[in-house]
Amino acid sequence: MRTARRISQILFLLFFLFLFFQARYPYETWLPSDLFLRASPLVAIATILATRKVIASVLIAFIILLLTVPLGRFFCGWICPLGTIIDGSDNLIKRKKRKPRQRESTRFRSWKFAILVAVLVASLFSVQFIWFFDPIALLTRTITTVLYPVFSFLLLGLFNFSFSTGLFEDQVYSAYDMAQNSILPIAQPMFFEAVLIALVFVGILALGMVTRRFWCRNLCPLGALLGLFSKFRLTKRFVNETCNSCSICQRECKMNAIEDDYAVNNTVECIECMECISNCKPHSVSYKFGKNIGKNEIDLSKRRFIQAAAVGLAGVAIAKTSAVSREETGQAIRPPGAVKEDGFLDRCIRCQECVRICATTGGTLQPSFLQSGWEGIWTPISVPRLGYCEYNCNLCGQVCPTGAIQNLTMEKKQKLKMGIAYFDKSRCIPWYDQQDCLVCEEHCPTPDKAIKFDIREARTPEGVMRTVKFPYVDEKLCIGCGICVTKCPVIGDPGIFVTNAQAERIEV
Amino acid sequence: MSTLNRREFMAISAGAGIAASSLLLSQKLVADDAWALVVIKNGSPAQLVRQAINTLGGMSRFVKKGQTVLIKPNIGWDRLPEQAANTNPEEVAEVVKMCKKAGAKRVRVLDRTCNQARRCYKRSGIEAASKKAGAQVRYIVKSRFETVRIPGGELVKSWPFYRDALEADVFINMPIAKDHSISRVTLGFKNIMGIIGGDRGQIHKDFMTKIVDLNLAIKPTLTIIDAYRILLRNGPSGGNLADVAVKKIVIAGTDPVAVDSYAMGLFDIDPTKIEYLRKATQRGLGQMDLSKVKMKVVDLSA
Repeated sequence: MRTARRISQILFLLFFLFLFFQARYPYETWLPSDLFLRASPLVAIATILATRKVIASVLIAFIILLLTVPLGRFFCGWICPLGTIIDGSDNLIKRKKRKPRQRESTRFRSWKFAILVAVLVASLFSVQFIWFFDPIALLTRTITTVLYPVFSFLLLGLFNFSFSTGLFEDQVYSAYDMAQNSILPIAQPMFFEAVLIALVFVGILALGMVTRRFWCRNLCPLGALLGLFSKFRLTKRFVNETCNSCSICQRECKMNAIEDDYAVNNTVECIECMECISNCKPHSVSYKFGKNIGKNEIDLSKRRFIQAAAVGLAGVAIAKTSAVSREETGQAIRPPGAVKEDGFLDRCIRCQECVRICATTGGTLQPSFLQSGWEGIWTPISVPRLGYCEYNCNLCGQVCPTGAIQNLTMEKKQKLKMGIAYFDKSRCIPWYDQQDCLVCEEHCPTPDKAIKFDIREARTPEGVMRTVKFPYVDEKLCIGCGICVTKCPVIGDPGIFVTNAQAERIEV
Repeated sequence: MSTLNRREFMAISAGAGIAASSLLLSQKLVADDAWALVVIKNGSPAQLVRQAINTLGGMSRFVKKGQTVLIKPNIGWDRLPEQAANTNPEEVAEVVKMCKKAGAKRVRVLDRTCNQARRCYKRSGIEAASKKAGAQVRYIVKSRFETVRIPGGELVKSWPFYRDALEADVFINMPIAKDHSISRVTLGFKNIMGIIGGDRGQIHKDFMTKIVDLNLAIKPTLTIIDAYRILLRNGPSGGNLADVAVKKIVIAGTDPVAVDSYAMGLFDIDPTKIEYLRKATQRGLGQMDLSKVKMKVVDLSA
């Protein structure tokens, strides 16, 4: 059973990574790359609670929830890619050996229920914290902004080194070509927030030094949610009379779910990993259909419940009194097709799928820091100096699991304003230096260029008269894609910038 | 007295045959070599290109057996062929085929794009067509730029160029003729910007001088201007079909200045008013005055 579970874990992790790699231009696939995100019941419940709307794309999550009722937390033990990675890293960590019959503490495991209560209470009041905790969003975010950039940095470096040696050039190039069309990005993705996101992930893995699956046991609100539903599971763990009370099952249980009476396990905590069956020398343990005799209480007292709800409400109050309100979007330039800011913040789970796929085309999206307030941390924003919104691309809307970015038709997207560009005449070369430049105009992608120019005589500081092409923005035509900013040759701050003025947000 | 055995006799006569035929061929070449500029009108893209190269003396004049060829089309933009922002893919494929047929060891096609490379290569149709014709289609790799000194450069004294272009035995420059607000029309000279590294935006300042400097560093064996469709307005990226004119013309030649000079006429522009053509002529890169250029015009519909 252990082998079967491990195979399942590895296959699902590979499938998860496969879907991750799918999220790239040209994205011609029938399998949605955001499948795992849409299948997370926590994402589904939190976004539906916050928006008070039925969001069709996340409804598949309820299949997982329904299956949990008879099968228990199979998702945690057999599918969850974060769980698999934690298992893998736990195997590398040496912990202090425990004496026989010395059980690990269970005191922290109520925290995950408290977190679940706090974040769902906040969701109910339309303030989202769920994005920080949902394991699928957390992992997708970490891979996009940390693990994949590191991977591609190393692989690109290897290729560049091979190219510089000039050895086996044609073979190396074929390999490079193949890699570019499958796993390598065209340009190295780089993210401002990578370090913060990495710290969270490293922290989660490091908690493995305390106990195995510390995150899953004590913190993961998705695990807590699935635990609530697995209370009623239809299978039972059965221990027969050959049991010699050696306590190995308890000590080796990933979730510390086996009670001091080894015949009893906590079905809310158990993740169906079957380690206890495989570890049992006398083969005393089996799984059978039938009424569960296990302990199935949820470790959350009324007092803790109220405390957690109060914490959630406090979070709501703090978020609502932030200087950046939801009616305005601060400095954030949102991706094309983003719903109105209020709904956007309800829906966005910071999974970075949009950021991921954008990095394979124009590369303008970045997880934000405080540009849209505390409530908007790690939501996608356009940073046009680093990359631009490709005129012929609408992929971010195609991979958004929750509809925070709507899937627009190309025709609609090409007319939609993300913002407007403005010249900074104190920096723009023709205005500042009385010389022709027009790199911005060259790259402007709208068929009738939004950057136009006047030809006028200008006097240089030396008193020479010159004919210069002076650019300006036609705000009716500008869609705020930002390629003018990306390509502006002025060193340092560019001679043109985009703001979210006139941004068209989708009403849903 | 030595006697020839059969094998030696065969070898010598074969050699003589080759020598004789190549002598004949080269005589033909010398005759055609007179054309520094050919203009072919009214055919399919592949026909136009084929006729252009044949009129210039055939691909064997430029590509010798075992040589390496770099073809540099304009693949700068994420646009479809009909939008006339990139070189016509059928023309590129035809040139690839002709190079292969002439015995080229390797034909590479590449460009440093403005939009993201994979999008441009794919949507321009150039990647698929060139690969099918037998070329190696390559993305630009950062580590392959080499700084080249430009001794005659007025403003640009040195600049990084792409190694593949520097190392190729034959360099074929294949721009598409497009409106461009800084160079007025982007043609062969401007197309060189697709094989340079560094911050290309800097070239836009004092463009007319700098573009000639860059062209001092690398001279194409052959320039083929795609004017099957030309972009009249909103170039060089375009996007609006109303800005595209179907001309069904290919201009080719060994004189890069003459080729650009002729193409200016398609936009009703007097080439003598274009500063970079004047400068290039002064520096001996070619001749912009078409009355001084041996030129042949072939109309395929006639």
